Amino acid sequence: MTVDAPPVMFPRKPKRITGKSIAVLTLLTMSALFFCIPLYVLVVTSFKDMDQIRDGAMFAMPTTWSLEAWRFAWFEACSGLSCDGLQAGFWNSVVILAPSLVASITLSMITGYALALWEVRWSGPFLFLLFLCAFVPFQIIMYPLIRLTVQMGIYGSITAIAFVHTVLAMPVLTLIFRNYYKDIPPELIKAAIMDSGSFWRIFVEIILPMSGNILIVVLIMQITSIWNDYLIGVTFGGLGTSPMTVHLANMVTVSTGTVSYNVNMAAALLTAIPPLVIYFVLGKFFVQGIAAGAIKG
Amino acid sequence: MTFRWSRITPQIALLPAVGITLVAFLGSIGWTVLMSFTRSRRLPEYKIDMENPFRQYNRLFADVGWNISISNLVVLALGSAMAIVLGFVLAALIERERRGEDFFRTVFLYPLAVSLIVTGVAWRWIFNPQYGIENALHALGWESASFNWLSDPQTAMYSIIIASIWQSSGFYMALMLAGLKGINTEIWSAARIDGVSLWRVYLEIIIPMMRFTFLTCAILLSLGVIKAFDIILAMTNGGPGQSTWVPAYFTINAMSAKGNLGFASAAASMMLLITLAVFLPLVALTAWQQRQARKGAH
Amino acid sequence: MPRVTFEHIVKRFGAVTVLDGLNLTVEDGDFLVLLGPSGCGKTTLLNLLAGLLDVTSGRIMIGDRDVTELDPKDRGLAMVFQSYALYPTKTVEGNLRFGLSARKLPRDEVEARVKWASDLLQIGPLMGRKPAELSGGQRQRVAIGRALVKHADVLLFDEPLSNLDAKLRTEMRLEIKKLHDTLKPTVVYVTHDQIEAMTMATHIAIMSGGAIQQFGTPDEVYEHPANLFVAGFIGSPAMNLTPGRYVTAGGTPYAEFPDGARIDLTAYPFATSPVEGAAIAVGMRPEHFVLDRAQVPPGHTAFDLTVRMVERTGSDALIAVSFANDQLFVRAEPDRAAKTRAGETVPVQYPTAKLNLFDAQSGRRL
Repeated sequence: MTVDAPPVMFPRKPKRITGKSIAVLTLLTMSALFFCIPLYVLVVTSFKDMDQIRDGAMFAMPTTWSLEAWRFAWFEACSGLSCDGLQAGFWNSVVILAPSLVASITLSMITGYALALWEVRWSGPFLFLLFLCAFVPFQIIMYPLIRLTVQMGIYGSITAIAFVHTVLAMPVLTLIFRNYYKDIPPELIKAAIMDSGSFWRIFVEIILPMSGNILIVVLIMQITSIWNDYLIGVTFGGLGTSPMTVHLANMVTVSTGTVSYNVNMAAALLTAIPPLVIYFVLGKFFVQGIAAGAIKG
Repeated sequence: MTFRWSRITPQIALLPAVGITLVAFLGSIGWTVLMSFTRSRRLPEYKIDMENPFRQYNRLFADVGWNISISNLVVLALGSAMAIVLGFVLAALIERERRGEDFFRTVFLYPLAVSLIVTGVAWRWIFNPQYGIENALHALGWESASFNWLSDPQTAMYSIIIASIWQSSGFYMALMLAGLKGINTEIWSAARIDGVSLWRVYLEIIIPMMRFTFLTCAILLSLGVIKAFDIILAMTNGGPGQSTWVPAYFTINAMSAKGNLGFASAAASMMLLITLAVFLPLVALTAWQQRQARKGAH
Repeated sequence: MPRVTFEHIVKRFGAVTVLDGLNLTVEDGDFLVLLGPSGCGKTTLLNLLAGLLDVTSGRIMIGDRDVTELDPKDRGLAMVFQSYALYPTKTVEGNLRFGLSARKLPRDEVEARVKWASDLLQIGPLMGRKPAELSGGQRQRVAIGRALVKHADVLLFDEPLSNLDAKLRTEMRLEIKKLHDTLKPTVVYVTHDQIEAMTMATHIAIMSGGAIQQFGTPDEVYEHPANLFVAGFIGSPAMNLTPGRYVTAGGTPYAEFPDGARIDLTAYPFATSPVEGAAIAVGMRPEHFVLDRAQVPPGHTAFDLTVRMVERTGSDALIAVSFANDQLFVRAEPDRAAKTRAGETVPVQYPTAKLNLFDAQSGRRL
């Protein structure tokens, strides 16, 4: 026998919205609006034509939405002497990203693994050294690195940019991986040492599969920072190998002729879109990355 | 001790990292510091200038651009500290009102995902005297509004500060939020039962409890300020004149535009010294605080 | 199956000496339990044998091989850990296979061993699961399985049962014992639980302060503790240890207590004779008391003692009685205890041959 009567419900009183809540929410919303202003003006300006921009009213929506500025920024805008648009820089950035990511993450992961889980007599002092290196200003090692890459015969190439990204990211990433691996129960690694004993095999079969979370966090962190980098790209890249940010900077700092603001804004947005997409899709990991990167001390 | 692979392999695996640390970090630092005591110009000279080893430093301290850079550094640090305050306020608001936490966090944090070059482009546009916010306010009827900050040496630094606050507040908010969530919820109940006002709870209980977080934020802020380069380049390119130079900008300028290696090395060494001067006491303080906290826990 | 020998093992961590010149031999096929309180060095000793720690000096032999400088994987050992240490990202089967990864075995040999272990431990239905999907007892079985597939000559256990609840612990105890009886490996088993030690071991090494206090069969360490530490450590409820003096009167040896009471020691099998007036400790096990005075057989000492308190635990009962300005715990049948009230006087006798006498100074058995 079935009873079709609806189950008795004891509805919880919906949480009342108090005056305080409204005040807090209003404040938060206003701050959120402030935070959105730059993005908003970038977007609306990039869809306007120059006539409308000259009318002022930077907050107004475009009267006619035009993709012309975007097209121009991508295909034709001049950066320095070449006028191939941002696309060249975009592809450079993509090409830079791949080896930089692989090299920096692989190196730091293995270093972190060795320091966290294997007995190395000098690991303590070395960790301290890495900790110090993580805070060294780039400028003090910049020129020696230029000379180093020149001597290696890679200066001005994608390889040089990837190499410097790997070098600069190594201390922080190593500390992040090391802290993560340090939380693996010591008995697990003892068991693996007795079972296999092989440094590489344990890494590939046991540790790598356990690194999923931290790997995503670090991946996002690195994609954002490599994509957004300007200084390394401009210092170590050559004419044909500079990343998108360098192209963008050259484009917008041009002081001759009339400035096409809409093109500049479109170019800025094009540069910002890849990391923003990653951020909005995988924001949760991004926040974790911030925490991991900051509280490593 | 006999030869054992289980000993050797991890050390071999560490070799690249050790090599990088020794060559690219320690070696490079040593090399730059050495250069700062030589008379190197465009090309390195390895002979220390025995007559006057501090020649480059003397020149540096006499340089107008360097002095502007140092005072700008202080201004930027103090101004950007607002980002920590703002970050804390935002985190506290979000934490109080759980509604919309994810949304607000996402909004406040997105500037961090954007290149500083892009940030510079956006803010330069906002501060554009012809078409920017000034114009918009004029159109709204506020005729005397003046936001032509970027072309005035007196105010250019402030626009950079605003842009960097916008860029980094979300970051401190995220750290503060994590800190606030670590606080035992019973504290709030206890304060409510005692009838303590919210202000006093924050000022006298919550903020002191979060001193590690504040210290961490302070360390990161000062390191970030010393490294600040991209935002300056994108917003003002150091101008007008030298009014927005900072040490990071100065050093690179000395190296690439002036091509004076000894001089640039002296500036870079000073940057390292400033980093150490800020960083070591703060780290020591954090370590000391942590030890105190641990003692308290026992 | 080989014997395991520790020769003059010294282990220091910095300035702290954990083991100082330890010697120990585990016979072929033996089930040796290293028993002791935490911090006694038992786990250090096990880790030294496994190769997870290095000796400061000394030599470790397995059979006639010197393994002191060998890598853990080359020592021919298998180990079961307290936390099981199963690889979380691998299935049960993957865990068993990884245990064989150091040995280059032919494929069908690997298959055969995995099948053998899964049948032996009845974990066949679990083979495709991840460790997180297993119960505590199942994880324990898999951990043992991972050790067994290696067909190692020496099996090490590091407190393997301490994460299980009481019922499962009893079951697994029997299971491990059964495995040892069928496979006859040499086992070194570390625990702080004396029930585990007494039920499973063929030999027990009781450790304290980095030294072996006594090495012997469970019965030996129980009936003839070599010193005060072992006497106090082994047995639950613990042995009663009462301070007194050794005196002789008219050629008869006595233990004399502060209140003047005496126990005739004629029937006690002295290993060494103490000097007249020496301070001694008299150990009496609660379960060797007889609560009866009607017949006192020869070689027994009888007293009338006042009851202080009665403690009943269901299957058992303890009566605390006043003795020599101190108290003794006496085991009693629950029925007998139920009739006993505090303040009463009860007749008590103890067989002299089962006394345990110790030199109060050196702590050594007399």
